[in-house]
Amino acid sequence: MLADQYYLIAHEDRTGRSRLHPRATGLGLAAALLAELVLEGRIGVNDGDLLVLDRRPPRDALNHDILDLLNAQPQHRDLRTWLAFLAQDAGLRVAERLMRVGAVELVTRRRMLGTTQTLYMPNSARQRNAAAWASTRVANMLVRGLDLNLTDRMLVGLVVATGLTRHVMYGFENYPHIYHGLPSMIASLPSDLRELVECTESSVGSALTVGRR
Amino acid sequence: MWAERVLMERRRATEPDLISRALASNRLGVPSVVFFGVAGAAPLTVIIGGISTVYAVIGQTAAPVVYIVVAAILSIFTVGFVAMSRHIVNSGAFYSYISHGFGRQLGVSAAFVALPAYAMMQIGLFGLFGVVASGVLDAFGVQASWVICALVAWALVAVLGILWVDLSGKVLGVLLAAEIAVVLVYDLIMVTHPAGGTVSFATLEPVQLLTPEVAAMMVLAIAGFVGFEATVVLSEEAKDPKRTVARATHFSVIVAGLLLGASAWAMSVSTGPERIVAVAQEEKTDLVFTLVAPHVPEILVSIGYLLFMTSIFAALLAFHAAVARYQFALGREGVLPSIWGYTHPRTGAPVVGSIAQSILALGVIILYAFLGADPLVYLFAWLTTVGGLGVLILMWSASAAVVAFFLRNPGRENVWRSMVAPIMAFFLLSIVLDATVIGLGDILQVPEGSPFRWIFPVAYLVCAVLGIFWALAMRRWRPHSYAMIGRGGAGRSVFDLADLNRPHSHALAGNSHMQSIR
Repeated sequence: MLADQYYLIAHEDRTGRSRLHPRATGLGLAAALLAELVLEGRIGVNDGDLLVLDRRPPRDALNHDILDLLNAQPQHRDLRTWLAFLAQDAGLRVAERLMRVGAVELVTRRRMLGTTQTLYMPNSARQRNAAAWASTRVANMLVRGLDLNLTDRMLVGLVVATGLTRHVMYGFENYPHIYHGLPSMIASLPSDLRELVECTESSVGSALTVGRR
Repeated sequence: MWAERVLMERRRATEPDLISRALASNRLGVPSVVFFGVAGAAPLTVIIGGISTVYAVIGQTAAPVVYIVVAAILSIFTVGFVAMSRHIVNSGAFYSYISHGFGRQLGVSAAFVALPAYAMMQIGLFGLFGVVASGVLDAFGVQASWVICALVAWALVAVLGILWVDLSGKVLGVLLAAEIAVVLVYDLIMVTHPAGGTVSFATLEPVQLLTPEVAAMMVLAIAGFVGFEATVVLSEEAKDPKRTVARATHFSVIVAGLLLGASAWAMSVSTGPERIVAVAQEEKTDLVFTLVAPHVPEILVSIGYLLFMTSIFAALLAFHAAVARYQFALGREGVLPSIWGYTHPRTGAPVVGSIAQSILALGVIILYAFLGADPLVYLFAWLTTVGGLGVLILMWSASAAVVAFFLRNPGRENVWRSMVAPIMAFFLLSIVLDATVIGLGDILQVPEGSPFRWIFPVAYLVCAVLGIFWALAMRRWRPHSYAMIGRGGAGRSVFDLADLNRPHSHALAGNSHMQSIR
């Protein structure tokens, strides 16, 4: 799923740490979760507002949960508010979903001064390969000029919006044409998703301007 | 359906809903924002470094009452300022107020004034830090010139700036609390040991406001408050965006004003109002320490010196972050080259702005070292005064921009906030600005006929005009970036702007037409 792929790209496969400022990662994941609902036809985005189009429960438990929340809180329609709200625990929720499908494991590390840190990270060789593949797969398709499906184009959009482009393109710096192709790829998204990408980008910018965790 | 709606209304009225509550739990309340504002104004630095300079340079005893009057003027300014901050994005920067109020051309020209002004305020502090640190080291028997000390501080600030270490958290909190405690103790000691045995209130007499030097004092006093306006940066992070920031900004101004006014008065009580100027001219930044030293254990004076040093360092770091943030905001909007919009992926540090400011500071420190100019007068006092003049120009134009904004968008705030207070602030700040521009030569203590008497306001004017030309150039060659000015990057369309040929630049801040302008 989209948010799973984004999670694997946004976290280091060896240490489980976020590659971005934690708030940027959270916003990227929140946007990916909303995009999953858009892709399933459950919600739409119009002029900064979220609209519920179809109240039937989605198959995925996490999607179901979020759609229920959207239904239960009709007074909040602002996309930015929902991004900020979902960003708070999106990392944890997506990690739990990844754990259910066996892509990551719960790892507890001892840190300085006796505190412990709980991380969801790929632990076995197979899991690590799968995690590293997430970004390589996207880069490969872009380098070869293959046609990306809608989910992957949205993934690229979120990668660009949160500032992971450089990481995904690591090792492919000799292919500048991909960078030129990215804007038109984002432009080719349906308007709901494009608005989601733009809103994510500006939310990430504001979060970084303040510089608070 | 109707019942459901009634139920919903009632629920909304009684308690905040799930989303708002969850968002608020992670956000800042009034105390945190006040703390941010007061820390930005760096009270101990101003009390020890600034007030003694005000007494010494202006040679007038009105300082205590001037600080309180300035706090009042800034409070009036704050009313309209925070009211407008609720209606615009990217409310952290003065230029975005001005571009919303008067259009994008003047907005860019305000940005061109703001960049040198804040940069100078930060660089000037290196001079103060160098002198103070060199004095402290001397007490330990280590000989180090101010240049060495300033360069060490410079290196630390440069590194911390790139790492974007969040020192504004606990470390700064403890230091600020200690600073305020020391200030209060010193004030108490100075007031309980008055000259001639009687506590004199003469320096608080409002009559002194009628003397001509007062206006010149005001720009120095305003320079001491600079930093409080940074609170509006946090408006998106505040629990209640409507009220938290407004209250906190008022509190910051009042707290800083009372601290500064009381300390200035306490100093004059300790020396006696008629001697304060002479003593200040003799002791300079050691003034407070000399006054309290006979009455307190030596350790308390040593602690005071150390805290003074850390306070200047904290101010250096805070201003460095503010400058870097300003450049980042401008880079994101395409006013500066897009590379300024790049942030370090993991830390989110605005790396380019940070490095640019560090390089500039290094250049100025080395220049002063070669010239051999007195760092306390020509680096600290001059640059912070001239920087303060720039910030004053920004505040003055921002107060007018508030009026213009609410004239265009009527009915969003009440009359007091949208009209009366901003117009009052505009007139009061106009008087101060006018007097400052006329009296700048005397504040800087340059002789008649010296070009320094007029060169700084003219330089700001040149910057502002350059800004207008830059904006016109942007409108001609990069209309999309031009349309974004003052909008904080919100609502721009990704495909219009993104040209990602540089993997190092921030994802979307690229601008394809940059080359043609350079």
